[in-house]
Parts: sequence; C-alpha cells; structure tokens
Amino acid sequence: MAKYNEKSTDVVNDNRPNPDSLLDLVSNDRSITTRGRLKVFFGASAGVGKTYAMLSEARRLLHDGIDVVIGIVETHGRDETAKLMEGLPTVPTLDVVHRGITLKDFDLEAALERKPSLILIDEFAHTNAPGSRHPKRWQDIAELLNRGIDVYTTLNVQHLESINDLVAKLTGVQVRETVPDKIFDEADEISLVDIPSDELLKRLHEGKVYIAPGANQRAAENFFKKSNLIALRELALRRTAERVDAENDVLSSARGQKEAQIGQKILVCIGHDSLSASVIRHSRRMASRAKAPWYVIYVETARHIRLTDKAKLTADRNLRLAEKMGARIIRLSGSNACEEILNYARNNGITRIVVGHKRQSRFASLFGSTLSRELIENGSGMEITTVTEDVPQEKSYTSFWGHYLAQPLSYIWAIVILALCTLLGLPFRTVTDPNNLTMIYLTGVVIIAARYGIGPSVFASLVSVACFNFFYTEPIYTFSFIDPDYYYTFSVMLIASLIVGSLAAKLSLQARQSRKREQETNVLYSLTRELSSVRGIAAMSEAAIKHIGQAFDVIITIFLPTENGMQTIPENTPSRELKEESVARWALENRQLAGRQTDTLPSAKGSYIPLVAENTSLGVLGIVPKNESRQFSTAEISQMETFASLIASAFQRAHNAESAEKAKIESESEKLRNVLLSSVSHDLRTPLASITGAASSALMLKEKLPKAVTELLNSIHSQAARLAKLVTNLLDVTSLEAGKIKLNDQPYFIAEVIGSALTRIEENKDQRTINTDVAKDLPLIVMDGLLIEQVLVNLLDNAIRYTKQDGKITISAKVEADCLRITVSDNGEGLPKGEEEKIFEKFYTRGHRTDGNAGLGLAICKGVVEAHGGSITGKSGKEGGAVISFTLPGLKPIMETHE
Amino acid sequence: MSEVTQTPVLIIEDEAEIRKFLRLTLTTHGLKPIEAENGKAGMQLLRSQHPEVMILDLGLPDIDGIEIIRQVREFSHIPIVVLSARGQENDKIMALELGADDYLTKPFSAGELIARVKVGLRHARRLNNGGEAYEVDGLKVDLTSRVVTLHNEDIKLTPIEYKLLSVLVKNSGKVITHTQLMREVWGKHTLENNNYLRIHTQHLREKLKDDALNPRFIITEPGIGYRFKSQG
Repeated sequence: MAKYNEKSTDVVNDNRPNPDSLLDLVSNDRSITTRGRLKVFFGASAGVGKTYAMLSEARRLLHDGIDVVIGIVETHGRDETAKLMEGLPTVPTLDVVHRGITLKDFDLEAALERKPSLILIDEFAHTNAPGSRHPKRWQDIAELLNRGIDVYTTLNVQHLESINDLVAKLTGVQVRETVPDKIFDEADEISLVDIPSDELLKRLHEGKVYIAPGANQRAAENFFKKSNLIALRELALRRTAERVDAENDVLSSARGQKEAQIGQKILVCIGHDSLSASVIRHSRRMASRAKAPWYVIYVETARHIRLTDKAKLTADRNLRLAEKMGARIIRLSGSNACEEILNYARNNGITRIVVGHKRQSRFASLFGSTLSRELIENGSGMEITTVTEDVPQEKSYTSFWGHYLAQPLSYIWAIVILALCTLLGLPFRTVTDPNNLTMIYLTGVVIIAARYGIGPSVFASLVSVACFNFFYTEPIYTFSFIDPDYYYTFSVMLIASLIVGSLAAKLSLQARQSRKREQETNVLYSLTRELSSVRGIAAMSEAAIKHIGQAFDVIITIFLPTENGMQTIPENTPSRELKEESVARWALENRQLAGRQTDTLPSAKGSYIPLVAENTSLGVLGIVPKNESRQFSTAEISQMETFASLIASAFQRAHNAESAEKAKIESESEKLRNVLLSSVSHDLRTPLASITGAASSALMLKEKLPKAVTELLNSIHSQAARLAKLVTNLLDVTSLEAGKIKLNDQPYFIAEVIGSALTRIEENKDQRTINTDVAKDLPLIVMDGLLIEQVLVNLLDNAIRYTKQDGKITISAKVEADCLRITVSDNGEGLPKGEEEKIFEKFYTRGHRTDGNAGLGLAICKGVVEAHGGSITGKSGKEGGAVISFTLPGLKPIMETHE
Repeated sequence: MSEVTQTPVLIIEDEAEIRKFLRLTLTTHGLKPIEAENGKAGMQLLRSQHPEVMILDLGLPDIDGIEIIRQVREFSHIPIVVLSARGQENDKIMALELGADDYLTKPFSAGELIARVKVGLRHARRLNNGGEAYEVDGLKVDLTSRVVTLHNEDIKLTPIEYKLLSVLVKNSGKVITHTQLMREVWGKHTLENNNYLRIHTQHLREKLKDDALNPRFIITEPGIGYRFKSQG
C-alpha cells in the first residue's frame, strides 16, 4: 500500500524495528480482514488477457469451494472467455436504457444482497449510466469492499488518472474513463498480465482483440502500433514496479532497515486554468518517483472576483483532482499569490515548487508578470520546476471592460450624482472662484467610486471634467474655454479624480471582501456559540437549521436515526420525498457524503452530509438549495462539512449528557429501590415474626389449653406462615423485576436441595403422597441452592394447592444432555388448555383466585430458572394434572476425589 | 426449677413485640431472659449478668450485629444465636464465621428457638469435657476410640470421612458453614475443597444410610452449610 503518511518520514537511526510502523502494518492487516480484498488484473492494453486470467483464477477458487459469483464480465464475443464463465454463478445484470439503447449494466443492489465471498467485476474504470447509485464503477467496487466482499477486477494502464494524459500524448487516443491513483494504490493485490508486444499484435490480427463497434478503425490501428504497445507495456511494468517498491519500503521501514530516502516535500501551485490539471498529474508522477509527500496550493487574490463561472468551476475541479491523486490541499488568500506561496514554503520547510508556465507575449509582459516568472525571480533558495504546455488560450477573467460594462445602471447613477453635484455648486458660481468648486465633483467621484467601482468612477471623472467645463468655465454652457490656466485645472482635476477614484474603489472592494469573510466567520462563531449554549438534540438541530439556512440561503433538514427509521427536523421538509430519504439513509449508514455534487446518487435534489463523531453516525445534514440551479463551490462545501462536524460533536455532547443523566437516574432509583426493599422487608417481617413466634409459643402449651383455643392458635400460626410466604414472594418478584438477582453459585447434589424443600412443605402436605424419582449418582450441579430450593417449594406448594387432599405428587431429577432436568407433576386439576405459557406470568392464577394466592409463585420460578440459564415449561399430564419441568445447566463433571 | 438453677439467656433485640415473645417462650421453658434493646445495653448486661446463651438480632439500630459478635468473641465463648431475615445470607454466613453458633430466620417458631438455645447450652457446658461419645437413632460415634457403628454394625470410613463426621458430631445440632468445615477438615478453604466437601459428605451420607431426600443425620442448609442431627 503506497501511502505517503507523515510517519514514513521519520528516519530510524538504529536497526531496531519502529514499533509505530509495525503497529501500522498490523492495523492495516487487521482492517483488511474486515474490509474486502481487492485484486486488480492489470495490463498494458486491451487484449493481453486480463479477463481470461481473472476468470481462470476464479474457476480455481470455485473448485476449492469459495463462494464466487460473476458481477459483470465482458466477453466481447470471445468464445474462449465465454467458456470460462460456464458454471460460475452470476448476479443478474440490470437493463439500463440510455439514449434509446438498452444496455446491460452491473446491479450493485443485487450483488450486495447476494453477499458473496468474492465477486468478479470487469473494467474498473467503467462509467455507470446516469441514475445509478454511483457515477463510477470503482465507487460501486468501493462499496462492495466496505461490506466485506472481495472483488476481482481488470484495468488497463491508460485508465489510471495520473497516466491518462501521458498515454493520450503517446497514442493520440484519449481515454475518458479513469480510476484515481489512490484507489489503485489501495488495492490489496495487483496482478500484472503481460505479453510481449509482438504476441499482442499477432492476437490483433487474429481478431482476438476487442475493438468497440463504431470506433474509428483508423484510430484503433494507430493505437495498436508496435511503438505504442511497447510504450504502454513499459508504463504498465513501471507502475507495477513502483507499487512493489512502495510495499517493500513499508515492510522494510517496519523492520527497522534503513529505508530509501524519503523525498523532500513538494509544493504545487495551481490555478483556475486547464494547465493546472497537467501540472497536477506531472507533480504526482514526480512525487511518486521521489516518494515525497506533495501539497497543492491555491491562492485567492482580489482579482478572483472577476473570474468567470467557468473558471471558478475549473479551479474547483482542479482541487478535487489533486485531492483524488493523493495531495494535501492548501487554500490561502492574499494580495500577492507569489508572496503567499513563498511564505508558505519557507514556513514549512519546503524547497521544491512546481508551477505551470504560460508563455507571455512581449507586449503582455510589460503589464505584469506570470506567477512562474515571479516565483523564479523571488524564490531564492527554492528549486522551481515549471511545466509548460501548449494549451488553448482561455479567457479566465472577464475582460477588463467587459466586467465594468456589465452594469449600465451604475453609470446612470453616476450621472445622477454628478448632476446633483452640479446643482449644489451652481448657486456659488458667482460668489467664488470656480476652481474651488472642483472639490464638489471630486467628492461626487469618490462616492461613485465607493459605491459602483472603478468603471463608473473613471467615467465620472471624465464627465465631471466635462461638466465643470460646461457649467463653470467662461464661456459657460459651452465646452470651450478661454483661460489657458484651465488646462492645468482640467488635467489636475482629471488625474486627481482618477487616482482618488481608483483608490476609493479598491478600498471599497477590499472592505466588501473582508466584510464577506467576517460574515462567514460570524456564522461559524454564532453557530458554535448557540450549539454550546443549548441543550438537547432538538434545540441544537433548530439552531443549526436557522444559522446554516440563513448563511447559505438553503433549506436545511436534520435527519436523526430512530428505532424504526428516521426522524426529520423539521417535520415537513422537501427532502421527505421518499427518494431523498433513502439518500440520507445511505449517507448515514456509509458515513459518506451523498447526493448532489457528490459521488453517490448525484441526481438527488439535495446534498446529504453525515454527522459523524467518534466513528458513529449520529444523523445526517440535508442541504437543498433554494435555487435549483445553484452549484456550491468547493469552498462552500468544505464550509458545510465544517458545520456538519460542529453539529456532530454537539450531538455527541448531547448524547453523552443524556447517558450520564440516565445513568444518574438509574443509580438513584436503584438506591431508592434497595432502601424500599430492605425497609419493607423488615417492616413486614417483624410483625409476622411476632405473630408466628407468639402463636407457636402458645401452641407449646397445648396440653393446658382447650381444644378450641389450640385450633385457633393453629389457624393463626398457619395463616401467618402463608402470609410470610406471600411476603417472600412479593419481595422476590421485586428483586427479579429490578434484574438484581445475584446468584450465590455453589455446588450441590440436587437431592439435598430437594430434600430441603420437602422438609419445608412438610407441614402443608396433609395426606398427599410425594414420590421422589431421583437418579442415583447424579453429578454435582452449580446453582444458587437457596433460590432453587424456593423454586421447588413454590412448585410443590402449587401442586399441593391444585390437588385433592389425597393427591399424588412426584418430583424427579435426571440428566438431559448437559443439563439437569427437574420435573414436578401432580394428579390434580391440571392446566387450563392453551394457558401453558401464561401460567408463568405474574399474577396469573388458574381460573380463580383462591385462598389468597397472588399468582406469583410460577413467575418467580421462571425468573430464577432463567437467571441460571435454564428454561421452564408447563403442560398437562397424561392423566390430567400438571407437569412443570425445568432445566438447569451447570453440571459439574464427575471429579476424582483425592484422599 | 428454682431460681438458682435458672439459666440466664441474654436477648439483644430492638423490636418490643419480638422481645415479648422471646421472653415468654424462654420463661415457659424454665430459662431466665435478660433483655436489652440495643447493642450497647446488651454488651453491658453481658459483662454484668454473665448469661450462658445470647440471642442477638442482626438488625440493631446502634451497633451492627456483626460488630457485636466480633467484640464478644474477644473475651467470651458464650453461645450466640443470631436472628436474621431471609435474603441476608451473607450476613448470616459472616456472623457464623465470626463466631456465632447458630441462626434463626424470621419468622421462626418457638420450637425452633428453644431447640437452638438448648443446643447452644449443651455445647457450652460440654466444652469443658473432653472427647465424648455421640449417640442418636442407632448411630454411635466414639470419638476417643474412633469407632463408628450404625445399629451395631461397624461402619468403615476413610480418614477424611471420619474427620468430617467427627467435626459434624462435635457440632451436632448447630449449623456449620462450608468454610468452617473445609478449614477443620483440610486446613483451608479453596474452590476445589468446596467440591470435595460436597462429594465426601455425600459419601458419608451413603455410608450412614442417610438419604439426602429424606435426611436423618446430615441436613443440608442451602446457601449456608450443614447441620448434624442433635442428640436430644
């Protein structure tokens, strides 16, 4: 992986492995296992056999049992290729109608649903039909990789972005479909499919090489000249070698070996013309050869106001291209581009600068230098590389006059103001020397310059001289003048107003620019302030909607994920149209931008920026411009991304506050519950203890008591016991509800616990027979003995309750798989049909409430059994009666005892 | 029984009603109750009145019951029966390990109370005598000669089983925690010994023809320990 990260510039002084790079390696490796692996079958041109190689390998893998499917493979009518496809499962292609023709394209959705281990997708650089989720196939592939699906694909060397123009110059054929170099470099494996040029030519003549139908036959023949093929082959080999080199470097730097010198940083100057694109590509090749990190710098000067829309777009496009190629972008603004660039370079220790060089005619060089010349002149200590190309002259700036002639209204206003000046001065004509009144016109020119710019101010300067001549000089109301002194007056007046005017205009312009910048900063500032002062996601969303909506003149929607779908703030927004919601959802799930002016679903009306903090998506910021045709500039988009990350961290804060709050409430209510439980426990049990104790104590004297009294005392005693059981059940249920059952796990023989339970119900059993069917030699089981004893007591109590006085109850225990199964069955009333599961619900009593049974016993049994990891079921027995059975895991293997 | 021979029993319990029932029950059985309604008063009475048995409620208002046991055990071997509620197993176990002899779970009956008190008294008075013979329900254990017979038939026990039986017998009628048993038999309490304890107890049961489902001799108290049937 050729990644030019900062770490690789650390020079290791000894041979010990650099732990950071090792860690990088490991984490890269680990990220590979969760991300799909990409293997690119790379070749010099069509016809070398990339698809063939890819299919052959896939067949082998299929034979080995790997889940391989074909995503889309172009056979171009070659039988031998088509034959290889037999037997490989295929994802059905999508029919796309484009300009009246139905084409078959790759169906990303179907592939994602199918989720194979490996998918074959031909033609890495293919452009998808409009309306597809992504405009480019390599983006489809990126999404597949993100979902953990491995991908094999094919690519010709001329489809690489950085090599594209080189190939065009070589062969005269410009291929439009490209893949960014970054994507290529990130591929996990590149397999170079290489054949000698003679061999390829032979294949061409045999008709085995694909030529697109309708392609210019002559162009194709030109392309397949032997010299071209050799050159392409060399490019492909070299590019592959570069990659191997880079991999080697990463490995050896991790191992601590002295690495090849990492090149010095390179600073590339770009602008708004097409020359910049070539400069960028050239720089990338430079940087990659030198293994140097490279930075692209773009300086905005005051002149930028005059840029045509086309130029602005080109500038944006150039910046994006640079980013795709792997450069870091630096945007600066200042009065002098050369100065800013050199300052930046010096401040950051950069000594290599690349700049495009435009040839200037002698005449033009009189009026100003080009950036390249300025840099060369002023860049002492710098190594400056210029890239020259013959590019068609473009008009990036609206012409000087064009810009100023565009506002006829300003000129009318200029005339109005000058007329006012004249009217102001006329009354004083007789009182004082007319020369003194020139100042009024000067004032007028200044006002016009400040409000309407240079053009009108120059115009006003001229007109004011003419007015002065007409209205003030003898003879008045004519354009002639007698006094030769007026030559000086007119010239001075003209020059003065021109100078003052242009100064005023420039100042005014700069003031306007700073105000604009201040405004932008203000928006950011006020949004930040409001976000930090409000609480809760709803309030934050409202703040964001208000500020951003106003600042950019757009409609903002915030999408928040809920349990079943998404919620929007505000409720009704234009983005609610179904199509847009799915775009927002895509952005949320993939944590990437989607929608207008992005790489995914670009036909959407709005742009959707995910709000990501700490690697989780907290929501989506949806931006729909009020004016449909409006295109956001790169600067605006990066501003919006800044806003998005601000909002995301604000949301994160809100989330954290919420969870902290919840945790606090939970712990408080926990405390309250415990206090309640313990006090209730104590307060109920104490009087019960007195009653039971007193009754039992009195019963000890039963010989001395009348029979009736004894009976009454028995009654009191037994009822108190029942009450005690009820209290126990109620408190147990409360603990279960709170989820606060803590098991005191100890090893037991189930027989002991059953015996203990039987002792406890001894009093109630009356005449009933209780049989036990417990296998001998059952192993130890780990469980909470007291709780399970309670479970057994509850089950036995139930059995007693629902059987007649002479009823039969059986309790059994045996091993079942790796659990213990305990069953309590009786021959009593049995369970009502259909209620076999309901009986375990709280407060369920079979049919009718008798003898104060609150219906909690079985619910408690269920809670305790499940807390142990077991399960409990009830059903009706063969002879009527109920059969309740539960399992307990936790059997201990039979241990050898040592003496 | 005359006043002179009435055994003084110290009651430390804050609830008046429970104290009443305790008092009446003890009196009915010829014991002399001495009442204290809080820990401090209880300690004072302990030192001044020399009771032979102590009934202690774990939920006292002023001093923690556990703390009282700790203090008492610093200078006295008096049998202590603690009163506690269900769900306070940890407290019970700690009390037993710190020196309490037995426990009663509220609500309990008068019969249980008297039984525990009597067991406590018996052990206290026997502490002065040496090794003894134990006999109940056909089981005879002679601790001096180390002979065990069941219905006059010799029972062959392994050394561990004998050790276990002797500890249980020496504490008959009282509850003894797993930890205490392990310490007495193996010298220390470990996870493995916990399992061995259960297994050896089961073996012992089998040799004594004692059915765990219907125990005669060795009674399991889930969550606490074991109790060996009292002599009488």
